[in-house]
Amino acid sequence: MPINDVELLPRLLAGEQKAFAELVAAYQGAMMAVAYAIVGRRYADEAVQDAWLAVVRSLAGFQGRSSLKTWLLTITANTAKARLRQNRRTVQLDEQPAPHGSVGAERFASDGHWLNAPQAWHEDSPEALLSASELRECLDKTLSSLSELQNSVLLLRERQGLELEAICNLLDISLSNVRVLLHRARLKVFATLEHFEETGQC
Amino acid sequence: MLSCKALVASSSDYLDGQLRFTEGLSVRAHLAMCGNCRRFVRQLRLTLRVLQQMPEPLVSDLDAVAAQLADAAKKPD
Repeated sequence: MPINDVELLPRLLAGEQKAFAELVAAYQGAMMAVAYAIVGRRYADEAVQDAWLAVVRSLAGFQGRSSLKTWLLTITANTAKARLRQNRRTVQLDEQPAPHGSVGAERFASDGHWLNAPQAWHEDSPEALLSASELRECLDKTLSSLSELQNSVLLLRERQGLELEAICNLLDISLSNVRVLLHRARLKVFATLEHFEETGQC
Repeated sequence: MLSCKALVASSSDYLDGQLRFTEGLSVRAHLAMCGNCRRFVRQLRLTLRVLQQMPEPLVSDLDAVAAQLADAAKKPD
Protein backbone atom coordinates (compact mmCIF):
# COMPACT_ATOMS: atom_id res chain seq x y z
CA MET A 1 0.00 0.00 0.00
CA PRO A 2 2.06 2.97 -1.18
CA ILE A 3 1.03 6.15 0.56
CA ASN A 4 1.98 9.70 -0.23
CA ASP A 5 4.85 10.73 2.06
CA VAL A 6 4.68 14.40 1.15
CA GLU A 7 1.04 14.72 1.93
CA LEU A 8 1.30 12.69 5.13
CA LEU A 9 4.21 14.41 6.83
CA PRO A 10 2.59 17.71 7.86
CA ARG A 11 -0.42 15.83 9.20
CA LEU A 12 1.88 13.62 11.27
CA LEU A 13 3.71 16.64 12.60
CA ALA A 14 0.38 18.15 13.58
CA GLY A 15 -0.37 15.00 15.57
CA GLU A 16 -3.37 13.97 13.50
CA GLN A 17 -4.48 10.54 14.68
CA LYS A 18 -5.84 9.45 11.30
CA ALA A 19 -2.46 10.18 9.72
CA PHE A 20 -0.76 7.90 12.25
CA ALA A 21 -3.31 5.19 11.54
CA GLU A 22 -2.43 5.39 7.84
CA LEU A 23 1.27 5.31 8.63
CA VAL A 24 1.03 2.30 10.92
CA ALA A 25 -1.26 0.40 8.55
CA ALA A 26 1.10 0.99 5.63
CA TYR A 27 4.44 0.28 7.25
CA GLN A 28 4.10 -1.80 10.39
CA GLY A 29 4.27 -5.06 8.43
CA ALA A 30 7.65 -4.18 6.96
CA MET A 31 8.90 -2.95 10.33
CA MET A 32 7.82 -6.21 11.97
CA ALA A 33 9.78 -8.17 9.37
CA VAL A 34 12.93 -6.20 10.16
CA ALA A 35 12.47 -6.55 13.93
CA TYR A 36 11.73 -10.25 13.59
CA ALA A 37 15.01 -10.83 11.83
CA ILE A 38 17.06 -8.96 14.41
CA VAL A 39 15.52 -9.68 17.81
CA GLY A 40 13.35 -12.70 17.01
CA ARG A 41 9.70 -13.46 17.44
CA ARG A 42 9.65 -12.95 21.21
CA TYR A 43 10.80 -9.36 21.21
CA ALA A 44 9.65 -8.15 17.81
CA ASP A 45 6.52 -6.42 19.16
CA GLU A 46 8.49 -4.49 21.75
CA ALA A 47 11.17 -3.53 19.25
CA VAL A 48 8.53 -2.16 16.88
CA GLN A 49 6.97 -0.19 19.73
CA ASP A 50 10.38 1.28 20.54
CA ALA A 51 10.77 2.12 16.88
CA TRP A 52 7.42 3.93 16.65
CA LEU A 53 8.28 6.08 19.65
CA ALA A 54 11.67 6.88 18.14
CA VAL A 55 9.90 7.76 14.89
CA VAL A 56 7.58 10.18 16.63
CA ARG A 57 10.52 11.79 18.45
CA SER A 58 12.53 12.33 15.29
CA LEU A 59 9.70 13.09 12.88
CA ALA A 60 10.47 16.81 12.86
CA GLY A 61 14.01 16.02 11.75
CA PHE A 62 12.97 13.82 8.81
CA GLN A 63 14.64 15.44 5.81
CA GLY A 64 12.99 13.51 3.04
CA ARG A 65 16.38 12.50 1.66
CA SER A 66 15.24 8.89 1.66
CA SER A 67 11.69 7.63 1.34
CA LEU A 68 9.64 7.48 4.51
CA LYS A 69 9.70 3.69 4.26
CA THR A 70 13.49 3.49 4.11
CA TRP A 71 13.73 5.91 7.03
CA LEU A 72 11.24 3.92 9.12
CA LEU A 73 13.01 0.64 8.41
CA THR A 74 16.40 2.12 9.32
CA ILE A 75 15.02 3.37 12.64
CA THR A 76 13.48 -0.03 13.26
CA ALA A 77 16.76 -1.80 12.56
CA ASN A 78 18.59 0.58 14.90
CA THR A 79 16.16 0.28 17.79
CA ALA A 80 16.05 -3.49 17.38
CA LYS A 81 19.83 -3.69 17.43
CA ALA A 82 19.93 -1.49 20.53
CA ARG A 83 17.57 -3.92 22.20
CA LEU A 84 19.79 -6.79 21.30
CA ARG A 85 22.24 -6.67 24.17
CA GLN A 86 24.13 -9.74 23.13
CA ASN A 87 27.19 -10.30 21.10
CA ARG A 88 26.58 -10.19 17.43
CA ARG A 89 24.42 -13.14 16.53
CA THR A 90 25.71 -15.65 14.06
CA VAL A 91 23.61 -15.98 10.96
CA GLN A 92 21.83 -19.30 11.07
CA LEU A 93 21.75 -20.86 7.65
CA ASP A 94 20.81 -24.23 9.11
CA GLU A 95 17.71 -25.69 7.69
CA GLN A 96 14.57 -26.31 9.63
CA PRO A 97 12.26 -28.70 7.80
CA ALA A 98 9.28 -27.09 6.05
CA PRO A 99 5.85 -28.78 5.81
CA HIS A 100 6.31 -29.74 2.15
CA GLY A 101 10.08 -29.89 2.01
CA SER A 102 12.01 -28.09 -0.69
CA VAL A 103 13.28 -28.93 -4.17
CA GLY A 104 16.04 -31.14 -2.84
CA ALA A 105 18.63 -33.56 -4.12
CA GLU A 106 16.07 -36.38 -4.18
CA ARG A 107 14.41 -34.72 -7.17
CA PHE A 108 17.50 -35.29 -9.34
CA ALA A 109 19.39 -38.24 -10.79
CA SER A 110 23.09 -38.59 -10.10
CA ASP A 111 23.87 -36.86 -13.42
CA GLY A 112 21.84 -33.84 -12.28
CA HIS A 113 18.83 -34.39 -14.56
CA TRP A 114 15.32 -34.19 -13.14
CA LEU A 115 14.05 -37.52 -11.80
CA ASN A 116 10.80 -36.01 -10.76
CA ALA A 117 10.29 -32.96 -12.94
CA PRO A 118 7.70 -30.28 -12.14
CA GLN A 119 4.24 -31.00 -13.56
CA ALA A 120 1.88 -28.43 -15.03
CA TRP A 121 -0.21 -26.55 -12.46
CA HIS A 122 -3.94 -26.04 -12.77
CA GLU A 123 -3.74 -22.34 -12.12
CA ASP A 124 -1.33 -19.91 -13.66
CA SER A 125 -2.17 -16.62 -12.00
CA PRO A 126 -1.52 -15.56 -8.40
CA GLU A 127 -5.12 -14.37 -8.08
CA ALA A 128 -6.49 -17.79 -9.06
CA LEU A 129 -4.11 -19.59 -6.72
CA LEU A 130 -4.86 -17.30 -3.79
CA SER A 131 -8.60 -17.62 -4.26
CA ALA A 132 -8.37 -20.98 -2.47
CA SER A 133 -8.52 -20.09 1.23
CA GLU A 134 -7.06 -23.49 2.06
CA LEU A 135 -3.96 -22.62 0.07
CA ARG A 136 -3.61 -19.27 1.83
CA GLU A 137 -3.68 -21.02 5.19
CA CYS A 138 -1.25 -23.59 3.90
CA LEU A 139 1.17 -20.86 2.80
CA ASP A 140 0.89 -19.21 6.22
CA LYS A 141 1.90 -22.51 7.76
CA THR A 142 4.93 -22.79 5.53
CA LEU A 143 5.96 -19.18 6.20
CA SER A 144 5.73 -19.70 9.95
CA SER A 145 7.91 -22.81 9.67
CA LEU A 146 10.77 -20.69 8.32
CA SER A 147 13.44 -19.40 10.68
CA GLU A 148 12.86 -15.80 11.77
CA LEU A 149 15.68 -14.55 9.59
CA GLN A 150 14.60 -16.55 6.54
CA ASN A 151 11.02 -15.43 6.96
CA SER A 152 12.03 -11.78 7.23
CA VAL A 153 14.36 -11.86 4.25
CA LEU A 154 11.62 -13.42 2.13
CA LEU A 155 8.95 -10.93 3.19
CA LEU A 156 11.24 -7.92 2.81
CA ARG A 157 12.17 -9.03 -0.67
CA GLU A 158 8.89 -10.31 -2.08
CA ARG A 159 6.21 -8.46 -0.20
CA GLN A 160 8.04 -5.21 0.52
CA GLY A 161 10.02 -5.20 -2.71
CA LEU A 162 13.36 -4.25 -1.10
CA GLU A 163 16.59 -4.62 -3.06
CA LEU A 164 19.01 -7.28 -1.82
CA GLU A 165 21.51 -4.55 -0.84
CA ALA A 166 18.92 -2.81 1.32
CA ILE A 167 18.19 -6.07 3.14
CA CYS A 168 21.93 -6.62 3.77
CA ASN A 169 22.26 -3.14 5.25
CA LEU A 170 19.18 -3.30 7.44
CA LEU A 171 19.91 -6.72 8.86
CA ASP A 172 23.72 -6.55 8.88
CA ILE A 173 24.16 -9.74 6.91
CA SER A 174 26.27 -10.40 3.86
CA LEU A 175 24.89 -10.45 0.34
CA SER A 176 25.78 -14.11 -0.04
CA ASN A 177 23.85 -14.96 3.12
CA VAL A 178 20.83 -13.01 1.91
CA ARG A 179 20.96 -14.89 -1.39
CA VAL A 180 21.14 -18.28 0.35
CA LEU A 181 18.35 -17.46 2.81
CA LEU A 182 16.12 -16.15 0.05
CA HIS A 183 16.67 -19.08 -2.27
CA ARG A 184 15.96 -21.69 0.40
CA ALA A 185 12.85 -19.88 1.57
CA ARG A 186 11.55 -19.58 -2.00
CA LEU A 187 12.04 -23.28 -2.69
CA LYS A 188 10.06 -24.18 0.43
CA VAL A 189 7.17 -21.98 -0.65
CA PHE A 190 7.46 -23.43 -4.16
CA ALA A 191 7.21 -26.95 -2.67
CA THR A 192 4.03 -25.99 -0.83
CA LEU A 193 2.39 -24.60 -3.98
CA GLU A 194 3.48 -27.64 -5.95
CA HIS A 195 2.14 -30.02 -3.31
CA PHE A 196 -1.15 -28.16 -3.23
CA GLU A 197 -1.44 -28.17 -7.01
CA GLU A 198 -0.73 -31.90 -7.16
CA THR A 199 -2.88 -33.10 -4.29
CA GLY A 200 -5.45 -30.32 -3.80
CA GLN A 201 -4.68 -30.29 -0.09
CA CYS A 202 -2.21 -28.91 2.37
CA MET B 1 26.79 -27.72 -19.78
CA LEU B 2 24.76 -26.84 -16.69
CA SER B 3 22.74 -29.68 -15.14
CA CYS B 4 19.09 -29.27 -14.15
CA LYS B 5 20.12 -29.53 -10.52
CA ALA B 6 22.64 -26.72 -10.95
CA LEU B 7 20.06 -24.65 -12.77
CA VAL B 8 17.66 -24.96 -9.86
CA ALA B 9 20.47 -23.95 -7.51
CA SER B 10 21.09 -20.78 -9.58
CA SER B 11 17.44 -19.97 -10.20
CA SER B 12 17.01 -17.34 -7.48
CA ASP B 13 20.20 -15.56 -8.45
CA TYR B 14 19.03 -15.67 -12.06
CA LEU B 15 15.70 -14.05 -11.18
CA ASP B 16 17.41 -11.45 -8.97
CA GLY B 17 20.02 -10.54 -11.59
CA GLN B 18 22.84 -11.74 -9.34
CA LEU B 19 24.62 -14.00 -11.84
CA ARG B 20 27.84 -13.04 -13.55
CA PHE B 21 27.56 -12.55 -17.29
CA THR B 22 28.83 -16.01 -18.26
CA GLU B 23 26.74 -17.72 -15.58
CA GLY B 24 23.67 -15.95 -16.93
CA LEU B 25 24.52 -17.15 -20.41
CA SER B 26 24.74 -20.78 -19.35
CA VAL B 27 21.40 -20.51 -17.53
CA ARG B 28 19.77 -19.04 -20.64
CA ALA B 29 21.35 -21.69 -22.87
CA HIS B 30 20.06 -24.44 -20.58
CA LEU B 31 16.56 -22.95 -20.47
CA ALA B 32 16.48 -22.72 -24.26
CA MET B 33 16.91 -26.49 -24.44
CA CYS B 34 15.14 -27.82 -21.34
CA GLY B 35 11.37 -27.69 -21.04
CA ASN B 36 11.36 -29.08 -17.50
CA CYS B 37 13.57 -26.28 -16.26
CA ARG B 38 11.60 -23.66 -18.19
CA ARG B 39 8.52 -24.90 -16.39
CA PHE B 40 10.33 -24.82 -13.06
CA VAL B 41 11.46 -21.22 -13.54
CA ARG B 42 7.98 -20.19 -14.69
CA GLN B 43 6.46 -21.78 -11.60
CA LEU B 44 9.08 -20.21 -9.35
CA ARG B 45 8.23 -16.77 -10.78
CA LEU B 46 4.56 -17.50 -10.15
CA THR B 47 5.44 -18.49 -6.58
CA LEU B 48 7.06 -15.10 -6.04
CA ARG B 49 4.04 -13.30 -7.47
CA VAL B 50 1.82 -15.26 -5.11
CA LEU B 51 3.94 -14.06 -2.19
CA GLN B 52 3.71 -10.45 -3.43
CA GLN B 53 -0.05 -10.63 -3.58
CA MET B 54 -0.73 -12.41 -0.31
CA PRO B 55 -2.77 -10.08 1.86
CA GLU B 56 -0.81 -8.50 4.71
CA PRO B 57 -2.08 -9.27 8.18
CA LEU B 58 -3.96 -6.29 9.58
CA VAL B 59 -2.60 -4.42 12.57
CA SER B 60 -4.96 -5.60 15.29
CA ASP B 61 -4.84 -2.58 17.61
CA LEU B 62 -4.39 0.04 14.92
CA ASP B 63 -6.57 2.73 16.51
CA ALA B 64 -4.96 2.38 19.92
CA VAL B 65 -1.45 2.54 18.46
CA ALA B 66 -2.33 5.55 16.29
CA ALA B 67 -3.89 7.39 19.25
CA GLN B 68 -0.80 6.75 21.37
CA LEU B 69 1.53 8.01 18.64
CA ALA B 70 -0.58 11.08 17.85
CA ASP B 71 -0.52 11.86 21.56
CA ALA B 72 3.24 11.47 21.77
CA ALA B 73 3.66 13.67 18.69
CA LYS B 74 1.71 16.50 20.31
CA LYS B 75 3.81 16.39 23.48
CA PRO B 76 7.44 16.35 22.40
CA ASP B 77 9.74 15.71 25.34
